[in-house]
Amino acid sequence: MSATEVNGKIEYSDPENRNALIAVKSHLIAGFLVFLLMMIAGFTMRAAQGTWLEIGADLFYQIMTVHGVGVVGAAMITSTGVQWYFLRQYVRLSNGIFWTNFFIFLTGVVLILGSIFVGKYGGAWTFLFPLPAISMGAWSNGAAALFQAGLLIIGVGFLILYLDFGRAILARYGSLARALGLTQLFGKEPVDYKHPAAVVASTMVLIVNFMGIAAGAVVLVMGLINLFYPEFKPDALLMKNLIYFFGHVVINATIYASVIAVYELLPRYTGRPWKTNKPFYAAWFAIVFMVMGVYPHHLMMDFAMPNWALVVGQVLSFGSGIPVMVVTGYGALMIVYRSGIKWTTSAKLLFLSMFGWWAGVIPAILDAMVTVNRAFHNTLWVPGHFHFYLLLGLLPMLIGFAYFLAGEGDSKEQPKATDKLGFYAYLIGAFMTSMVFLASGASSIPRRWAAHMPEWVSFAQVGTVAAALVVLGMLLFIIRALVSLPGASNPR
Amino acid sequence: MRLKIKPEWLLLAAFIILTLPPMQRFLEQSMVTHMLVQLPALTVIGWIFGRTLPESWSNKIAPWNRWGITGMALAIVIMTYWMLPRALDAAVSEWYVELGKFITVPAMGIALGVSWPQLNPIAQGVLKLEFWATFMRLGWLYLDLPDRLCANYLLSDQRVLGQLLLLIGSAWAIAWTLRVMFGTKIINT
Repeated sequence: MSATEVNGKIEYSDPENRNALIAVKSHLIAGFLVFLLMMIAGFTMRAAQGTWLEIGADLFYQIMTVHGVGVVGAAMITSTGVQWYFLRQYVRLSNGIFWTNFFIFLTGVVLILGSIFVGKYGGAWTFLFPLPAISMGAWSNGAAALFQAGLLIIGVGFLILYLDFGRAILARYGSLARALGLTQLFGKEPVDYKHPAAVVASTMVLIVNFMGIAAGAVVLVMGLINLFYPEFKPDALLMKNLIYFFGHVVINATIYASVIAVYELLPRYTGRPWKTNKPFYAAWFAIVFMVMGVYPHHLMMDFAMPNWALVVGQVLSFGSGIPVMVVTGYGALMIVYRSGIKWTTSAKLLFLSMFGWWAGVIPAILDAMVTVNRAFHNTLWVPGHFHFYLLLGLLPMLIGFAYFLAGEGDSKEQPKATDKLGFYAYLIGAFMTSMVFLASGASSIPRRWAAHMPEWVSFAQVGTVAAALVVLGMLLFIIRALVSLPGASNPR
Repeated sequence: MRLKIKPEWLLLAAFIILTLPPMQRFLEQSMVTHMLVQLPALTVIGWIFGRTLPESWSNKIAPWNRWGITGMALAIVIMTYWMLPRALDAAVSEWYVELGKFITVPAMGIALGVSWPQLNPIAQGVLKLEFWATFMRLGWLYLDLPDRLCANYLLSDQRVLGQLLLLIGSAWAIAWTLRVMFGTKIINT
């Protein structure tokens, strides 16, 4: 059996495959360019907090808004590229729909950039009611509406794409439960070790993102109505619940979409298959509910929240991610152990992502404890968690996949010096960025503040150096992607 | 002997019953029955009529309605107009708007009946989702708004309608979830 042999792959015509490859590369390149710009935005904010750069508070909050929404958008479009690349091998997906989502996404990005840098919207990605409508002259209602309309349009594009995923999965497997492996888990069908992990993960992502984006579609329109009809004042707590359900699910799902790269590529590099089994199905089934149920850990400081919701948020946050991380982390260790794997940059990045995913969740679990949350939630501890998770967990999966697609995984050549420099600059920078944020949080430095007190400045300055290293690493990765990706043929 | 009645006659009978002044007044005296009984009933009559159109008619329409796009665009425009509170208000107050409603809403149903089956499954999904989201948004809006949207209906009526829209939207979401997750078909979602 070959390392990646799984149940019946779908055959496409050569023009379809060529077009699909161009589409995936476009997603990766667009996503990485946005990531790089957002990293430069992050560097700018840290330099401003560290008093090395002088920018006005209004511009700081505009940059903060674009950084927050831009990273989530880049994570979504790039991880979707990874997910689509592998999923289309097992179910028949439409190239046209994939491109449609891409162009709808770009349209939404233009609207959002216009709202922030032309309309001066700086109310953060969270667009929490009633802030967008009460800017006290910092931005107009039109700018806030444009921001929310941009998000809404992006959501519609992704819903169209997920409908295509759903159609294709249902056409092949009959029900999402079967695609998730539940019929095997509950003994209605014999266990099929070759049931594709990409299908299981994609089904989970499809379910949770569908719910998350549907909630977003409702809450964004309610926010728009409030902007133009201020007499309508929706329940602020319900709005916040829906916004965080939407936001948390969407960003969380990007890592579950990208982990498909680990399931598909590590077996190629180690020569050992990644077999799906009952614990694997059980873990992915559990995570469907956990990803949707953990968001109340963002609302622990809202005293009006029902106690039971906070208890559920705390308990699920403790367990969230653990099932899939255990089966994936343990699985990755087992197939790498004594496999004689060649440590290409792609393999190194994919393995690093396992560490980033595991370690990055620890600060989140700490913050999800009500007593810790009261002290930590409005500090830089929280950016510390998600920068760890995204810089060292998500991005290595995405960049690792890009290296694979550029042909690095199959070539005999040794990693280039620039690749090594990029890898270590990125690794050290990302680790430092996250740890400085965590240390700042532990020292009670608040988050989302444009100006820092003199006692906090040294933290921001170290953070700026760390951010510069991340930008350097990413820049080298992107140059490599821009040089190698466009001409690379589809790896076999 | 069994009496054989053509479905078209049944549809016509249902339409006439809805237009009879007592039935019209009865259904329009409350916002709930106006929006959740009369308008859907007129749409369904149009829909079924659209599905049973003679083949010669369908063939004539077909070149103008490739992939069902023209018909769906028409249906969406009519639907959007009748979602405006002042349109509904005017239908209650002015006879000519009421007449327009009894013509355009079944016409929307016909457009839906003819065009929906031709529509791409992905486009069907997008429209279903948008329709579902509209139920939830309007339900929330009707529940929370401090003012009456329609001058002819009470605030309490508006709130009951809001609750019902949220209830129907939730039931629809559950039915849809059961369908795609486990293949369980409760209703045709």
